[in-house]
Amino acid sequence: MTLLELAGVEKHFGGLPAVAGVDLKVNEGEILALVGPNGAGKSTLLKAISGLQPPTLGSIKLLGKEIAGLSAHQTRRRGVAMVLQTPRTFHSMTVRENVMIGAMFGSSAGTTSAPSIADRANESLGFVGLTHLADQSVDTLNLHQQRFLELARSLAGRPKLLLLDEVMAGLNDTELRASIDIVRLARDQLGVTVIWVEHVMKAVMSLAERVVVLDFGSLLADGQPADVMRNPKVVAAYLGAEIQTNG
Amino acid sequence: MTAPGQTSRPVGARSPSWQAPSLLRGYAPIGAVALLLALVPIFFQNSPSRMTVIIVGMLFAAYAISFNIIFGSTGQLFLCTGALAGIGGFSSAILSERGVPMLVSIPLGGLLAALVGGLLSWVAVRRSLDTIFTGVVTLAFSLSYDNLVLGRKDLTGGETGLRVGAGSDTILTDQVKPYYVFLALVVAYLVLYRAIQRSHLGWAFRALRDDEVAAELAGVNVARYRVYAGLIGSGMLGIAGALFAHHRGFIGPTTYAFGDVDVRVLVMLTFGGVGSLLGPVLGAIVFTILDEILVGFNQLRIVLYGVTIVALFLGFRRGVIPTLETARSKKRRTPAASTKSAED
Repeated sequence: MTLLELAGVEKHFGGLPAVAGVDLKVNEGEILALVGPNGAGKSTLLKAISGLQPPTLGSIKLLGKEIAGLSAHQTRRRGVAMVLQTPRTFHSMTVRENVMIGAMFGSSAGTTSAPSIADRANESLGFVGLTHLADQSVDTLNLHQQRFLELARSLAGRPKLLLLDEVMAGLNDTELRASIDIVRLARDQLGVTVIWVEHVMKAVMSLAERVVVLDFGSLLADGQPADVMRNPKVVAAYLGAEIQTNG
Repeated sequence: MTAPGQTSRPVGARSPSWQAPSLLRGYAPIGAVALLLALVPIFFQNSPSRMTVIIVGMLFAAYAISFNIIFGSTGQLFLCTGALAGIGGFSSAILSERGVPMLVSIPLGGLLAALVGGLLSWVAVRRSLDTIFTGVVTLAFSLSYDNLVLGRKDLTGGETGLRVGAGSDTILTDQVKPYYVFLALVVAYLVLYRAIQRSHLGWAFRALRDDEVAAELAGVNVARYRVYAGLIGSGMLGIAGALFAHHRGFIGPTTYAFGDVDVRVLVMLTFGGVGSLLGPVLGAIVFTILDEILVGFNQLRIVLYGVTIVALFLGFRRGVIPTLETARSKKRRTPAASTKSAED
């Protein structure tokens, strides 16, 4: 079943198209990696879907309902959560309180009582393995933990679609493996569909079931990871060399 | 949602720190402050001039709490605190002079101020104004208000001001009774502030104050909550301004002037601690006392006032209350840390 459908999506900045007419269908439960050279429009496309930077033109439908042009909080309440490359946390709050904000405001179903909000926050923290840090200030977390915190905040709102923007950049091998496991489990156990912008090709090859390549704002290739990475157009877009997928 | 081999507690388990906060813990500081401030007239009731100063101090505490909701909670720099209080004061006074009972005209003054403040917030949100530009726009509004007061002599009395007779022969006259009225107002504002902090609104305010983009991505309607803060804080300013008009019995262009109200309120709040519950009250108390101490220095007073402000801000850059809270929490952590290292 199609969860997300993009038709002719464009995003212009001062007349310059960062995303130039993207058509894409994403099925429920897919883990889709969105790759491409720097400046290809990957993050801009994610932000257009999330409502952070609404598209200039085109249609974005979530379960058949138009969400293009909605603001980020509105798309969030319709089930679209996004984690940015640079973690953005609420610095005056504890780790648990950060996640509670996601449970309180980010749910399409809406939450009623404080205990249910706290329960959801605790569950999400447990899911990403941050329970032991729940009462600490977010300032004490490292980059990896802050990204997991953002993930927990997103999951606390029970999203249908999770947009991840280069959340695995700068991680060591152990952290990378942990991140891959968490994203896969979010799909397997929570049924979340994932669209994930990533430059770490090792992670893409390990986790993604489908890879979509963007170049100059347009779709260049779409298919199984191994097939896409052998595609001559994709190879040419990436510095004209064969793509290193093993590290 | 289960934790795959993580160090989580069972699903649905409560965190030790997440329990319904007791009434005592949430409101006890307000009760303590109210009790202390209630004793003040015992020492000064025989000095009408001192009581006048103290009542003005309470008025400024109310202004600073209101401003704290707008600026401290949502980062909107409203440089029209005096103008909003003046809208409440003048509209209430004008209505009362036309026969509207004081108990009706004061809330109506607050309502009008709330609508104007909400409108200013809405404009700032619609135009995506940051803190500084919000300050510029509201400062321009403040100047317009000054001109309106001076220009509409038929309504405001212009430079000569407006006599407000509705408060005479009521609880608002005399010295000690009005003090308790203003104390009740300050306590009510503190209770309201605390209630907001603990509500859905308070969580949204904290989130958007920390990071608007993160708040929006987490599902917080940042624009709407900013307008809510503008509406509530401005309404509170309007009511305080209206109450003061009826207490004083006379209002003029300088009663709510920018230099006399906005600057002082900003200094009081920044000194006490932006975004803290008791910071505005502490700031109002300290600067009311400071004003009184320096009053004997004539021309040197302004210089000394400035030097003192600089010295205080150098010592407490984040404000006194947050600085003390940080020091206290560090002190609490230190023994635990040293015990742990000793065990290791």
